[in-house]
Formats: sequence, C-alpha cells, structure tokens
Amino acid sequence: MWYEIFKFELKYRAKRADTYLYFALLFGYALIAVDFIFTENLDPVKRNAPFIIAKTMGIIAALFTMVTSMIMGVAALRDFDHHMSALMFVNPIKKGDYLLGRFLGSFVVLIFIFSSVPIGLILGDFMPWRLAEALLPFDLWRYIHPFLIVVLPNLFFTGAIFFVAGALSRKLLVVYTQGIILLMAYIFSIQWGQGQADGFIPALIDPFFYQAINRGTQFWSTTARNTQMVGLEGVLLCNRLLWIAIGWIVLGIGYYGFSFNVIRNSFLKQQKKATLSNENLQNLSTIKIPEFDLEQGVKSKLIQLKYHSLFYFQTILKEVPFWAIVICGMAIIFINSINLGTTHGVDTFPVTYIIVEELQEMSIFFFLIILIFYSGELVWKERDAKVDGVYDALPVSDSIPLTGKFIGLTLAYLILIGTMIGAGILFQTVNGFYEYELGVYFMGFFVNIFPSLILLTILSFFIQVVVNHKFLGHFVVVTVVLVSMIGLRAFGFDHGLYNFGAGDMGIYSAMNGHGHFLWGYAWFTTYWMAFAIGLFLVATLLSVRGMETNLIKRIRAGRFRLTPRFCKISIDVFLIFLFSGGYIFYNTNILNDYALPSTAAKYQVAYEQTLKKYETLPQPKIVATNLKLELYPEERDYKMEGFYWLTNLAEAPIEAIHVQKIPGTKFDLAELQFSKAGIRKDTFVDFGYYIYSLTEPLLVGDSIKMNFKQNFTTNGFTEGSNTRIVYNGTFFDNMNLPSLGYNHHIELQEERDRKQYGLLPKPTKANRDNPLALKERRKGDDSQFIDFEITIGTAGNQTALAPGTLQKKWTANDRNYFHYKMNAPMINFYPIASAEYEVLHDKWKPKNGLDKPIELEIYYHKGHEYNLDGMMDAMKKSFDYFTKNFSPYPYEQMRIMEVPRYKNRAQSFPTLVAYSESMGFIMDVKADNVDMPFFITAHELAHQWWGLQVAAANVKGQKTVLESLAQYSALMVLKAHYSEEKVREFLKIEEKNYLSARANAKKIEVPLTLVDDQSYIYYRKGSLNLFALQAYISEDSVNLALKRFIRDWNSFDGLRQKERYATTADLLEYFSAVTPDSLQYLIPQLFETVTLFDNKIANAAYEKLNAIEYKVKVKIDMNKFQLDRLGIEKTTALNDWVDVAIYGKEEEVIYHKKYKIKEEMTDLEIVINQQPIKVIIDPNYLQIDKDRKDNERNF
Amino acid sequence: MPTLKIKNLSKTYANGVQALKNVSLDIPTGMFGLLGPNGAGKSTLMRILATLQEADQGQVTFDKLNVLTQKMELRKRLGYLPQSFGVYPKITAETLLNHLAVLKGLTKKSERKEVVAALLHKTNLYADRQKNLGGYSGGMKQRFGIAQALLTNPKLLIVDEPTAGLDPTERNRFYNILSELAENTVVILSTHIVEDVKELCTNMAIINKGEVLMQGNPRHAIEELSGKIYQRTIRKSELADYKKNYRVIADKLLLGEPIIHILSETDPGDGFSRVTAGLEDVYFAHIW
Repeated sequence: MWYEIFKFELKYRAKRADTYLYFALLFGYALIAVDFIFTENLDPVKRNAPFIIAKTMGIIAALFTMVTSMIMGVAALRDFDHHMSALMFVNPIKKGDYLLGRFLGSFVVLIFIFSSVPIGLILGDFMPWRLAEALLPFDLWRYIHPFLIVVLPNLFFTGAIFFVAGALSRKLLVVYTQGIILLMAYIFSIQWGQGQADGFIPALIDPFFYQAINRGTQFWSTTARNTQMVGLEGVLLCNRLLWIAIGWIVLGIGYYGFSFNVIRNSFLKQQKKATLSNENLQNLSTIKIPEFDLEQGVKSKLIQLKYHSLFYFQTILKEVPFWAIVICGMAIIFINSINLGTTHGVDTFPVTYIIVEELQEMSIFFFLIILIFYSGELVWKERDAKVDGVYDALPVSDSIPLTGKFIGLTLAYLILIGTMIGAGILFQTVNGFYEYELGVYFMGFFVNIFPSLILLTILSFFIQVVVNHKFLGHFVVVTVVLVSMIGLRAFGFDHGLYNFGAGDMGIYSAMNGHGHFLWGYAWFTTYWMAFAIGLFLVATLLSVRGMETNLIKRIRAGRFRLTPRFCKISIDVFLIFLFSGGYIFYNTNILNDYALPSTAAKYQVAYEQTLKKYETLPQPKIVATNLKLELYPEERDYKMEGFYWLTNLAEAPIEAIHVQKIPGTKFDLAELQFSKAGIRKDTFVDFGYYIYSLTEPLLVGDSIKMNFKQNFTTNGFTEGSNTRIVYNGTFFDNMNLPSLGYNHHIELQEERDRKQYGLLPKPTKANRDNPLALKERRKGDDSQFIDFEITIGTAGNQTALAPGTLQKKWTANDRNYFHYKMNAPMINFYPIASAEYEVLHDKWKPKNGLDKPIELEIYYHKGHEYNLDGMMDAMKKSFDYFTKNFSPYPYEQMRIMEVPRYKNRAQSFPTLVAYSESMGFIMDVKADNVDMPFFITAHELAHQWWGLQVAAANVKGQKTVLESLAQYSALMVLKAHYSEEKVREFLKIEEKNYLSARANAKKIEVPLTLVDDQSYIYYRKGSLNLFALQAYISEDSVNLALKRFIRDWNSFDGLRQKERYATTADLLEYFSAVTPDSLQYLIPQLFETVTLFDNKIANAAYEKLNAIEYKVKVKIDMNKFQLDRLGIEKTTALNDWVDVAIYGKEEEVIYHKKYKIKEEMTDLEIVINQQPIKVIIDPNYLQIDKDRKDNERNF
Repeated sequence: MPTLKIKNLSKTYANGVQALKNVSLDIPTGMFGLLGPNGAGKSTLMRILATLQEADQGQVTFDKLNVLTQKMELRKRLGYLPQSFGVYPKITAETLLNHLAVLKGLTKKSERKEVVAALLHKTNLYADRQKNLGGYSGGMKQRFGIAQALLTNPKLLIVDEPTAGLDPTERNRFYNILSELAENTVVILSTHIVEDVKELCTNMAIINKGEVLMQGNPRHAIEELSGKIYQRTIRKSELADYKKNYRVIADKLLLGEPIIHILSETDPGDGFSRVTAGLEDVYFAHIW
C-alpha cells in the first residue's frame, strides 16, 4: 500500500513546477558556488579540491535548508492545507503506509532536487571564468563522495524534522521555525568552537557538518587538502551518526504522534463549543439597530489605522512560532557571548556596545525570518482565512489595510527588539556588570537596525503584493534582499544613492560615540525611507482587492485608487526623496570628491606608471621636525605649519627635492618653501607631487629647511568618512604629513586589482642582501633619527598628546595648548592625538638610583579604569626587565593613551603607546586567564627597544627582529611575575593559533629568518621558538645576546648601524655566540627551517620497586618533520633534546629531565621515590607539536 | 428610491470562460432574486456589483454612482455577504464584528458598541459573542456573515447564496431580517433555490451561462405559464421516450417514483394531468 502512496507522491511532484524550479535554482547556485563562497585566492589549494567541494556542499546544503522545508514540510501538511484530509483519511490505509509513502516519495524528490548540486559543481569547473591552473583534473568520485556523506545525511535528518513538524503541527510556520532551531544549533557550534582548543562537542553538534569539516581538517596540509577526501572518521563520523540517529528518532516521534483525526483535540484546552442560545427567537425582528453616523474623515481613518495595526499585531502575538523566534533571539546572546571579544582566552567586560554589536550581528537572522514570513502571512491573511470577500468590500481606503499590516509587523519587531535589549541587560547583570548604557541600546536598535528593518519590510510587502504568490514571494524576497545587500557594489558602483538601503552609522566608540557619522546616516536613511515609502504607495495601488490577480489588470485598475490625498502624499514623498538625494549628492560629490572605485584605482595606476621612475632617486632625509598644529575637533579641521630639516645623506649631490602631498582635496598643502633657491615644478600637481629643482645642488652632508603649511578641512559628509580627526579621540600619525619622494602607500595595493590594471604584483620583502632595502626601515623611507618638537592647540576640554617632554602647557581663547619636545632623537614615526582624557601619573625609578626617574602616564577615557593599575604595573616591570637586560631607556617619559577603536590594535610610538579602547582597557581578566593587558603593555613597551632603538632593515625577517623579540621580551616579563601555568597557558594558545593559521596559509611557510608578512609566524611561532631557545640555552644567555645586539645595532650609537639596518642574519650571529656547541643545532632548527614534531607517549607504566622507589617505564614515539623548498613536509632524522616530566599526587612535578632522543621509538626507565600520577613529554611547549593531546599519559 | 442599473455587462475569464454576456438588469428597491444553476455567472455578477471584480464591458450605476469606477463611494453604501467566506478562528465574534465596524467607518466608540451589540442580538449571536469563531457552527457563521453585512445600514445589500447550510429555522429568521431591510434597500439575493425567491422577492431574474433568460415579477412569470404545465408519474425506463415526445422541463422523484413536468399549450392526454404552475416551473422552463 505504501508503494501506491509513494508512487502517487512522485507523480504529483513530477507535475509540479516548483520541483523543477528548485532544481534549477540549486543548479544555478552550484554552478557559481565555489567562486561565490571562496572569494579569496585559495592557491595552492585547488578550487575543486575534495576539501573545497565538501565545504561548498556543506554550505549549500545549509543555505538551501529552506528548499528542504518546502518540499518535506508540506508532504503531510498538504492534505490539511487543501482540506483534503477528510477525503484522504477515510480510506482504508494504514498510518504507517501513509507516512512512509509520503516521506519516501518526497525524500526521493528532494534527492533529485539536490542532485543538481554535484552536477552544477561539476559543470561549474568548466565555466569560462575558471582557470585551468587552479583546478585538479576531473574525478567524478570527488563529487559523489561528499554528496553521500555531507548532503545526503543532512537531507535525511532535516527532511525528517520538517516532515514530522508539518505532519504533527499541520502548520507551515512551525515547519519554518524548525529551520531557526537548526540555525541556532549551527551558530552555537561555531561560537562554542571558537573558544575551545578541542572542538569535539561543537563539531559534533553542528547539524550542517560545516564546523565538523573545519575541525576534522584544521591541521591538514595543503597536499592533504588537494588529495584527501573528507573521510568519515573521528568526529566527522560521530557527527553524521548523531544526526542520522536524530532523524530516525524524529521519524519515530512522528509515527507515534500522527493521527488521522481531522479535528484534533488540543493538548492544552478544550475548545469552547458555541451553542444556540435560548434567546426568544420571535423578538429578533423587533430589535432596532440604533442610529449612528459613518465617518470618513482623517480622524476616522486614523482610528481605523490604529485598530488595524493593533489587530494584526495581536494576531502575530498569538503565533507560537513568533515567540519561538523571540526566545531564540534572547538565547542567542547567551550562546554567542561565549566569546566576547576574546583574546588569548580573555574576555572583555560586557560593555553595552559590545553586547549591542553581538546582538545586531546575530539578530539580523531572526528579524529577517520574521520579516520574510510574516510579511507574506499578513499580506495573505484575509485570503488564507477566506474572509477577503468580506474585507475587500468594506468602505475602507486602499492604503489602510496594507499600512495596518505594516505597522502591526513593525510593532512585533519592537517586541523582539525589547526582548533583545532585555536579554542584553540580563546578560550584563548575570555577569555582574551593571553599567547599562540605555542610550547605546537605543541607538543600536532604534536608530541603526530599525530603519533598515522598515526598508526591508516595505520591500517584502511590495514584492508579496506584486508577485501575489506567497511562497514564490518568499523566495523572491530572499533573493532580492541578498542581491540588495551586494547591490551594484559588486560591479564597482559604490555610491549610496543607488545602493539600496545605504547609509553607514560607523563604528560606535566609547570615546567618540557615533561621532560625525550620524549626520550623513540620517540623510541617507531619509533618502531611502522616502524611496521605500514610494514603493509602499505603489504597493497600495496594486494590492489585490477582490478577485483580480492579474498584475496588468491591477496596474490598470490602480488608477481608480488615486485619491487626491494619495497624490498629495506621493508628491510629498517624491519631493523628500529628491531633496534628500540632492542634499546627499551636494555633500558627497560637490563639497567632497567622489570617485568610483575604478576611477580611484585608475588614479593610483596612473600615479604608479608616471612616477615610479623616481622610486630610487636619492632624496635627502628628514632629520628634524618642528610643527605647530591648530586642531579643531568639533569642526574636524586642522591647520598645521612647520618645517623639516633635510640632510643629504646620499653619496652624490641632490639636484631636486620631490615632495608628496597626501592625495585628496581635504588635504591642502597651502605652502611649500625651501631655504635654498630653486624652482618649483608642478608638472605632477595632479598627483600632489612637487619637484623643487635647486639652483645649486644639495651637497653631500648639507642640509636644507623645508617650510610647509598643511590644512585639513572637513566639508559636509561623505560615505566611509575619515576616522582620524574626530570629535573626541583624534589620532593620526605622520603618514598624514608631506613626505619625500615616491610614496608606495599611494600605489594600488590589492593583488587582484593590480593584475586587472596590468601592474606587476607587489614585490614581497627584499632579500636580506638587497643593498637598497638594507638602508631602509620601510619602503621609501625618507628619514633618519629625527629631532622632534611640536606645539598643539586643541579644544578647551581636550588634552593633546605627542611624543616628548611637555615643555609648556597653557590656555588661550578657550583652547588648550601643549608644547612637546623630545630630549633625544627618535625614529620618524609619531602620533598626534587629542581627546577628553583622564590621566593616571606614576614614576619608574631605576634600580641603580642614579638615572633620572621615568614619568609614567596613562591617558584614558573616563570610566575605563578597570585595568589601569595592571597596565601601570606592567610598565614598571617592563622597565625593570628591559633596562636591566637590554639597554637603558633613552627618553624621559612613557605614556599610554587610549584611542577610539576605529583600528582595534595597540601601537608603539616613541614614548607613547596608542591603545585602542577595546583592546586592553575593558578586558575582564579572571583568575585563570593570562593577564593580557599586562602582556600587551609589556609587548608594546618592548617595542621601545625593538623597533624604536633597534630599527630592522626592510628585508625578509624584519618582523622577526621587531615582533618576535617583542613577544619574547613580554613573555619574559610575564614569566618573571606570573606562574608557570600562566606561561604554559599562553604558549598553548600560541601553538594552537600557529598550527591552525599555518594550515590555512596560502603561501608556502617560510622560516622565521625569512618571514614576510605572515603574522602567525612572527608572532606565534616567534614566541614559541624564542621561548624554547631560552629554555635550552638559558634566559641569561639569550638576554646577553640581545644586549650585545642592541649595543651594536641601536640607532643612536650602534657601531654596526652606520651603513645599514639589522637583519635576522645579524641577530642569529649573537644567538650563536651564546649557544654551546651541543645545542648549536637549535639555531637553524628554530630560525632557519620550518620544523615540527609529532611526539607521543606510546606506552607508559610504573611498578613499585620497594617501599620508597617506583620504576616508571615510558615508550616515547617521536617524529620530526621539516618543510622542503616546495613546502612538502619530510620526516627528518632525530637528534633532539626532549623534556620528560612526571607528576605526583598533588599535580606537582616530581621528576623533570631532558633526554637526547635519536630513535623514533625510545624506551625510558626512570626510578623515582614517589608514586607517579602522570607523565608528560615536552610539558613546556619547546617543540611545536602537531598533536599535543597524546603527549600526556595518566597512570 | 435608489435603483441599480446594469447595462450590457460582460466578463470573460482568462481561461476563456465567458461568465457574463451582455447582461442588462434594472433592479429597484426591494428584494431582487437572482436565480440560476451552479456556474451560471451569478457569483461573478455579484462580485462585480460588490466592487471585487473588474468587468470587461458595460456600465453599472447605483443611485448616480458609477459602480465600476467609484468603488469607494459604493462601498460606503454596500453590504455584502459572499457565497463562501472564512473567519479568523482564534478571534471572538464580537472582536471581529467590532473590527469590521471600525473599518466601515463606525469610529465612534460608544455608537459602535451599541450597533455591534444590537446586530449580535438581531442575529441571535449575542450569547456567544465571546466565543472564538473557530467554534461556530455553519449556521452561526452564516449569521455572523449577515451581521457584518448589515453593519452601517447598507443601501445596497448583496447576498450570495446565503441560505446554503442553514436549517429551516435559521433560514426563516434570515429572510425575516432581509425583508425587513428591503423596504428601503436594494437587496440582491442570489440563489439556486426557487423557493427562496418565491417567498421573498418582488423582482427576479433567471440567468444561465452568463445570459439573462428572464426578468420580471415572479407572480407574472407564473401567470404566464398557468394552464400549460402538466405532470404524470412514469417508469424510469420511459423517461427517454417522454423526453423525445414532450417538452419535459423537470423530472423529479415523488415517493421514489419518477414524476415529470411538461410544458404544453394544449392538453397532451396520455395520462398527464394539469397542475398549477409554480416558480420552479418558470425556472426550469427557462433553463431547460
């Protein structure tokens, strides 16, 4: 019997257009999916590698769960929906047959639909835009295999869930709600996974398998990614089994729960049955309807609108799925906040803006679901309930029903927003954080999210009205929303006047609030709101009223709905649209320069093509800078005048000085004069490039003074506006000042763009023997150590900061003035900042008691006091350590200043560290955390030595000298003051980050000595390997090497730094010199090769020898790999020292010794006099281990 | 006294079915019965009159209003009970009626309350006003439909097959309400039940396949046929023969025996006996 039902189902579906529509849709998507999902360059992983195909299939299966719900959800629901159930269920069929037939039939159809995915992916490889070199040769199994293990199980269990939900609830919306729950599980698994080193559980509970693939392959090498199938083993297998099992369980529930009864008894309450009352029937005709007036005025229309809105609002509130979504929305913050801005396992305090951003990021799904489904439901409400005949003939104006529905839905959003805010506050409270900023909540939801919701809702209403088919409408809405998010930007047209819903509220900053963004945002919002209202007006004209559904007829009939008031409103809206659009255009294109991205790129290309010839032209170097700056934060303007002293340090006289102004009309180089006679040629004035030909060449060693005035003016608003000069928290560096010679920063940076415009790829860092690069700290370096002096005037409530000792501070005309001067030369890299600051003062007194104390100051935003003491402490301890072990500190003060989080980083300048407000100031360091504010402060202070005293040459390995040494220095300060566990915790995270980053690296990994811009190498591996070095050869030896290194290579009086800057080769000399012969192998291993280990304890046991002695037997299995030139891992001969530690009952180390291991398998016998609990090899993270889990064995 | 004038109204659906062909009707105040078999075009005509459907051709005027273009004005005077309609199951009768009243323009709260209460009384739903419409029986739902159609005192009341599913008591009560209203209202009642028209209507029209076959006063129509209707009981097997030889306008069963009515100017003999013509005979005579 079931077979008949099955056959019928297949036949029924075979005749339905939507079956083929879904097939075509998926096919079309699969065709472009790889390019759509992996927009980045995957090289050397091929674009059809098994790993990529599996991931793509996982994403497609997840994205198109909607299709599954539409196919499977309606399989049993259909009979109820079409009122067929009574006809169907009286037949002598068994429940099991009915359900089985329907399920299998639909499932087969579903498989058919999704079979378009592998087909599309296969054909996608043959599309003309695919490059043959990025592809592997075709192999059918590579597509079938992931289809079987990824797509099919997903279809099975999601299909089962949707089918059963539809059969049991008999409501389509309940089916959709299931989708949200799956989405929640997915988000949950992602969030949970991020915070965990071992992501077994998160990978297990990800219903769409995507996380599981990520987990299962996270340490796969490039070769493995290109050749190996994502197989069913470990967590991958468990994930599949779990979800298939869930599918079966759900089907079981469905079988037992399903009933053929057409009318169901409600579980909750018996429905009250109305009965005929005994009212005297004869009297009915004597009842007189009272007199009344009908009103059709504006007031009555408003009352109608109010009733209507509340009516629809209440109908949404009666929906269980709505509340399910609301509850999910509330829960999301608790799930998502598992990783609140986590750095090295340290969370930030749940300050309101972080909570708001977390909520916004996730809630958009919930809003979209409500928006898409309820706009469809509401537009169809009357027709679904078949009361449209009654409603449509009512003398209510055409706009009121649609407007009422719109407002009703909007009110429902308010409920969701309210619960979101409530959840946010609850979350803060639960975490013991009581500084609720209701204003920030308000802005984040009502000013930021709400208008875009309204835009999308109107769009959705409009589409539902025009398409006039609910499900097709949903699909069109989803598509249009996705397309509108990308908009014309994808084609290089990025102006907000034609990208739907444009308008940027910027990044919220605790210091600067929403800053200057609000004004532009308000105008864009007005503009698009007017547009949307226009759409809405059209929708009211076209909305179906009565029987006429043909769009053309509706358009024709629409003219009878044009009332005078309607026309007046339309004209008003149109005028607002025009006016706001015009005002935006005036601001962005007339007050400011607007250029299409392609125009801007062409400018950059022209710059490079025209002026690159001057790249290597010798130029004098800046040796002194003196600036006077008048900053007007409230206008976001400044006026600057000043001079550079330039000295010819080249080998020949210089005939012309090339000056580069910052491009853009905001920067005005009002004046440019030199102290020696010459002629200014403005040939390249379009590029802001001025050539000053000296009448008499500047001789070697001679100097010239360059006077200039530079004004920065902000007019009106733009999109993507400047965040350096802001109301509170101005922060910019000397990259914003005129520079000398050809400027590489103006070049087109993106590789893809460069290729498109026929430019050569940007060269990587120069080799370590490149004579030119050895003389530069950065490309086009235009300076030496400089003398520095600056006077800054700023608003009366702000403090201005720059490097140097404060000479004088005064107030004039309600403005504050600060005069700073450096006591010693510094590198030409300095910030200028101004904000309303609080300040914490302290002093660091040198241990020898002879040198002058260093002034320590932290300039912070009021309210951000959480970690001030820790940071101050870190400064002092860093000074202790660095001055003792490296060299004295050349300056008189050290300041930390808080800056807005437009750039989320900490950055070290001479005597000044700029610390983003979200970096360390609001970190919530718990007892078991590594003290990251402490570490970051120590790291940035270490740069006062590595970077600011020793400048590394701009060649390969530069970042190792600067960043790895800073990591090492900070780690040593941490080690001196925190427990070994904390240090190990830190190293553990570094190792994990290194391993996962290298797995995803696009380029062949290089050793530390040759690192270019791979931060996972110079930060993560730098910490690990320098820590290992000091563990092997002793901390003192490493510090001795560094002391010598800084002595010889510092920029003040370093003997070796006269001709060029230092490289990793130089650094290694010093390390070699302090390393005993027996450990010399470490230097190449740690710095000049990529070496990895896979150590494990193959076996471990102990026996009690006598009353006090125990014999521990350990079998160590060690493997060592090195990368060859092609990036392929090769097993390498062992001859390494490895730590073995045995722990006693109290987790204390009872035995710790280094063993020299030469064989892959080594048996150790250790006699100890305490009972052992566990044994660990390499407990201190000295050898980067691919799989550290098996390094430990409990007895 | 307002009248409804329909002139040359035509409507063809996209699938080619011509639902109305040049329909012209004059409908005065009072009850007007629109009689026709299923699929005759009654509902299409009713929907056009109720502003819910566009006509292809023709004019409809009501009291100087152009029904086809001045929809809003007409709706203010209109009461409409569709042939089949649903309700929101989770809402009480009182809430929905109240809601509809607001939409009709009864925005003064106190007045609306009284009108809603009176209508609920009048349709005998008052006791059940707080119950969800989902729990209403077919008859109660129909009464609710009437209540909403009567809101705001319509000048034109269109009721499409209103008595389907009503028991005799309900039906009578409903007709009482209608006839009461018909004193100063144009009431158009579409039905395929001849009895209804006979009992209620002062004017009627018979339409079939989109065409008006007859219009006028039911009594006159009956008089025209008087003396021309004959009937006899036959055997089932004889029906085909009779149909060949006579103008059989109706065959039905009486106590299980087939009985036929024929239309004949003269007495056919052959066992036929003359019967008094009824409206049913008029109906069948036209649509046969």
